Amino acid sequence: MDAIRFFLNGKEESYEGSASDRLLDVLRDTYRTTSVKCGCKEGECGACSVLMDGVLVNSCCVAMGAAEGASIVTMEGFRDTKRYAVLDQAFAEVSAVQCGFCIPGMVLAAEALLGQNAHPTEEEIREGLSGNLCRCTGYNAIVNAVSIAAKEGNGLW
Amino acid sequence: MVNGYAAASLQDALDIRAAHRVVPYSGGTDLMVENRPDVTYLFLNKIVELKQIAVDADYVRIGAGVTFTQALADSRVPQLMKDAVSRIAAPAIRNAGTFGGNLGNGSAKADSVLIEFVADAKLRLLSVRGERIVNVDQFYLGRKKLDLADDELIAEILLPRNGLEQYFYQKVGGRNALAISRVAFAGVFSAEDGKITKIAAAFGAVADTVLRFRDLEGMLLGKSLEEARALKGEYLKAYSDKMVLTRGRVSAEYRKTVCMNLLNEFLTRFGI
Amino acid sequence: MEKISQSVVKKDHEPKMSGHSVYVGDYSGDGVLFGKMLRSKLARAKLLRVELPSLPEGYYYVDKNDVTGDNNVNIVLDDTPVYARDTVEYIGEPIGMVVGPDEKVVDRLLAEIKVSYEELEPVLDLRKADTVFFDYEYQKGVLKQAFAEADQVYQEEFMTGYQDQTYLEPQGMMAEPEENGHMYVHGSMQCAYYVHGAVMRALGCGPGEVHILQDVTGGGFGGKEAFPSILGCQVAVAAKKANAPVRCIFNRREDLEFTSKRHPSLCTYRVAVKNGRVTAMDIDVKFNAGAYTTLTPVVLQRGIICASGVYNIENLHVHGCALKTNTTPSGAYRGFGAPQTFFAVEMMMNHIAQDQGVDSLQFKEAHLVKQGDATSTSGKYHFPVPLPAMIDEIDQACDLRRKHLEYQKPQTGRYRKGIGMSVWFHGAGFTGSGERDHIKAVCKLHKYPDGTVEILASNGEIGQGLRTTFPKIVAYELNLPLEKVYYDHPDTARVPDSGPTVASRSLMIVGELLRRAAIKLRTQWRDGEDQIVEEHFREPDFMIPFYLDKFQGDAYPTYAWGVGAIEVEVDTYTGTSKILGAYGSFDVGTPIDYNIVIGQMEGGYLQGIGYASIEHMDYDSKGRIRNNSFSDYLIPTTKDVPNLKCMLHVEKYPEGPYGAKGAGELPLVGVPGAYVEAVEQAIGHGAKLNHAPFTAEDTLRVMMKEAE
Repeated sequence: MDAIRFFLNGKEESYEGSASDRLLDVLRDTYRTTSVKCGCKEGECGACSVLMDGVLVNSCCVAMGAAEGASIVTMEGFRDTKRYAVLDQAFAEVSAVQCGFCIPGMVLAAEALLGQNAHPTEEEIREGLSGNLCRCTGYNAIVNAVSIAAKEGNGLW
Repeated sequence: MVNGYAAASLQDALDIRAAHRVVPYSGGTDLMVENRPDVTYLFLNKIVELKQIAVDADYVRIGAGVTFTQALADSRVPQLMKDAVSRIAAPAIRNAGTFGGNLGNGSAKADSVLIEFVADAKLRLLSVRGERIVNVDQFYLGRKKLDLADDELIAEILLPRNGLEQYFYQKVGGRNALAISRVAFAGVFSAEDGKITKIAAAFGAVADTVLRFRDLEGMLLGKSLEEARALKGEYLKAYSDKMVLTRGRVSAEYRKTVCMNLLNEFLTRFGI
Repeated sequence: MEKISQSVVKKDHEPKMSGHSVYVGDYSGDGVLFGKMLRSKLARAKLLRVELPSLPEGYYYVDKNDVTGDNNVNIVLDDTPVYARDTVEYIGEPIGMVVGPDEKVVDRLLAEIKVSYEELEPVLDLRKADTVFFDYEYQKGVLKQAFAEADQVYQEEFMTGYQDQTYLEPQGMMAEPEENGHMYVHGSMQCAYYVHGAVMRALGCGPGEVHILQDVTGGGFGGKEAFPSILGCQVAVAAKKANAPVRCIFNRREDLEFTSKRHPSLCTYRVAVKNGRVTAMDIDVKFNAGAYTTLTPVVLQRGIICASGVYNIENLHVHGCALKTNTTPSGAYRGFGAPQTFFAVEMMMNHIAQDQGVDSLQFKEAHLVKQGDATSTSGKYHFPVPLPAMIDEIDQACDLRRKHLEYQKPQTGRYRKGIGMSVWFHGAGFTGSGERDHIKAVCKLHKYPDGTVEILASNGEIGQGLRTTFPKIVAYELNLPLEKVYYDHPDTARVPDSGPTVASRSLMIVGELLRRAAIKLRTQWRDGEDQIVEEHFREPDFMIPFYLDKFQGDAYPTYAWGVGAIEVEVDTYTGTSKILGAYGSFDVGTPIDYNIVIGQMEGGYLQGIGYASIEHMDYDSKGRIRNNSFSDYLIPTTKDVPNLKCMLHVEKYPEGPYGAKGAGELPLVGVPGAYVEAVEQAIGHGAKLNHAPFTAEDTLRVMMKEAE
């Protein structure tokens, strides 16, 4: 039987395990992209968010068989981009990172949002991040950071 | 692939579905939470035919593989359906979740299914044996029980394209996002020449299936607004008597009270 | 703004932002065994027999019989076992652990284990519980006379429910036997030395044979104060038996059902009023401790100390007890007993005001303590009490006074508005002389020949910014750029015990020690040399000695102050409350970093709103916690409180670094009173609400009664 072929941060991979294995588990255990966190395993927290063909999904809710042919991006790939640098600066400026566990998912959610809407209102930012839970910050600093990134990253998104 | 099938086309999917014990996997957002052990999925996410939205004389035809995000971006999808699916969970779930999956899960909490009930939607079911068109309320046999044969796939939702312009929709969840419906209400109204031609009301998340009482709707069909207002008390009492709800995450009293309040609000908004 | 308060880029921003940070679940699994718990299915039973299936090579089962030291985890007292003894006392109690290389095989083996119980009758109802774990009492003044002479006597009951910390990173610990026979335990925790003490005892070895490292920790909020000691012992025992690394990471369901949460409470207030003034309060506090004592005595102590709130009550009697039920043991959560009693006293004052026909804001303002007044335990408010100014600041931010009067008028229609206010304090540090007599914090600074300085302390970074604020203090005193001073994750093999990361003490107490150590190093500095300076805790001179047996004296050296106002709009058709605005003014002294402190205020405040409104958690008739997933235990999302505004009001505390006071817990403590008062006002028509969380369902129930 064929292996499942997909792209992970631009590199072609071949997964030989079961099609029903969770993308989250495979990313963390087989490919060691541990920036993808497990917060709940039921699609309710967003800590495991990745970009799949440019679209934000919860990797805990994706079976490997559905990832066939897909291009997956995690922080291990995204953090080398110019867009990341803008988000990095913005999050740093307002100290939006506390315990850090929600952050990889939050950043990818921000990237997904800005990719579709380069100048979101505060309401649109909150909507875009509504699937990412954070227990530390109360969200204000994170929303603020995304707003700053949108302004500073003029042209990148 | 190991322990799974990926269908390249609709025909391919139907063949596999008929030949093997598989669980159809559309968006995966319910199935992966369910996490059934030793399961063999039939992955439908590559099937282009299932991802189409089309319009004909009577219906907006939404493919079972259309995601909620896709529907929200499409001007052909009626606003009532958009109101409902825009409130599903959160962006990441809406990016993957599909109309077919929302039906296939068999839950009365399904946000798109509530709209299909109130709109008199039909479903197109396919198998190697042919095609079946069923009304959505006949598709649901009971709690998590569907009129879907082991070799059938949900292919398309046929959503009536007209008559959904005047509506009242409200979802009551536990919070403003990532909220499973605790009570959901959709009401559709139309009148011609001063007579009520449609007064559909459906209630989601409060019973084993979405609830709709066509016989009670009959009380007001064909009436003028003035006549309907005179019958309002009786109409509401009839609903109250008929709705015997059970406890879920919230109490039966809560479900009942909210349903009746929203039904009342629906009538009031349309002059009854 | 003070120079120290100016915000900097956090020193651990980069690895966390980029996803490089390694949490305990991120270490490679090569050679590491999965550990999963065998848990009790009953709330109370005699444990008769555990029948194992045959274990494949490399798979082990450990239980109490494998504990080479004491089968007791010391958390104040010793009743918590590492693994269950002869009885099980709550659903989920760990009986043993299965470990092995393949997770699926471990799961299969777990499912095949047969446990035989002799079922016993569990105690689940707090009102019927009869095993009293702790019983405390204190008073001041003369109650009998005050109640005899009262114009009105009010009595009311208030209840609060569980709250789960829901740190995004679930509990997890890893134990690795070292070649020299030592045991290395690391993971997600707040108190490395607590884990150290516990593991030493469980393994029956000396302090030098165990070392504990706190890994990058994804949130704690008190939930990782004591619990990791238990899990640490459990994995250490397993690792010792298997002679291989064992890692146990909880999944979210496990974490929600079986780890420590905020104590549910039942408080009864009896209050005497004469000439429109409160003259006496007689308070009874009951906390649901769950099955084992753990941190309950200390939580109860703080709860009863706060029972009279920010009000000057001359005649006061407080009785508190913590009762055993056969449920998950309750433990530490931000606020630590205070949120429960502050909720009760705030609502009591609201209800009295309502009955007296007085606006509750004015009524509360007339009773506020001032500098120089006696505290509830006959200590003293030694420092300014800025509450009137803070109330004014809140009033200016949200038009509180006018709206409070406006919304008090009868409202009809589908949507109704309300605005509530709560006033509170938080005493930072351990109660009484705990810092001086129990903790005896020590910290060190190690200056290397290259001029860099390492801070050696045991307080843990859990998101609150210690890896930044500690170096800021030291760099400031040494006049060094921030890059030259650093603070790594505590490793008990390398750092002294500066006490646990609890009680909002890290900056106020240990930060001050570090400041003094830095001053000492500055005066002794010799370029190019390797130097170490040490600093020990000294109790402030002004403190009135605290006697725990009578609860008399200064329970805390000083207080952080909070005022919160929340405006809601209630939908009477569905019972849901929309939060129109949430405002907080906080006096935590000088902020050591403005952004970090505001971040703490905002995060804590939102947790308080969750506690007040949607974080409903309860157990069923068998004693099993029902809300065991994130779809059932709801915490706020980005969309729930879009209008949250926190402000700082600075009153410097002379004994804190640059005037800083304990900050972490304050913003959560008083929030429920503000939210529930707002909902109460919106409902109107004489409604008196007396429990938190107060959900949409609760709101609708009250509306339905109104309709009758």
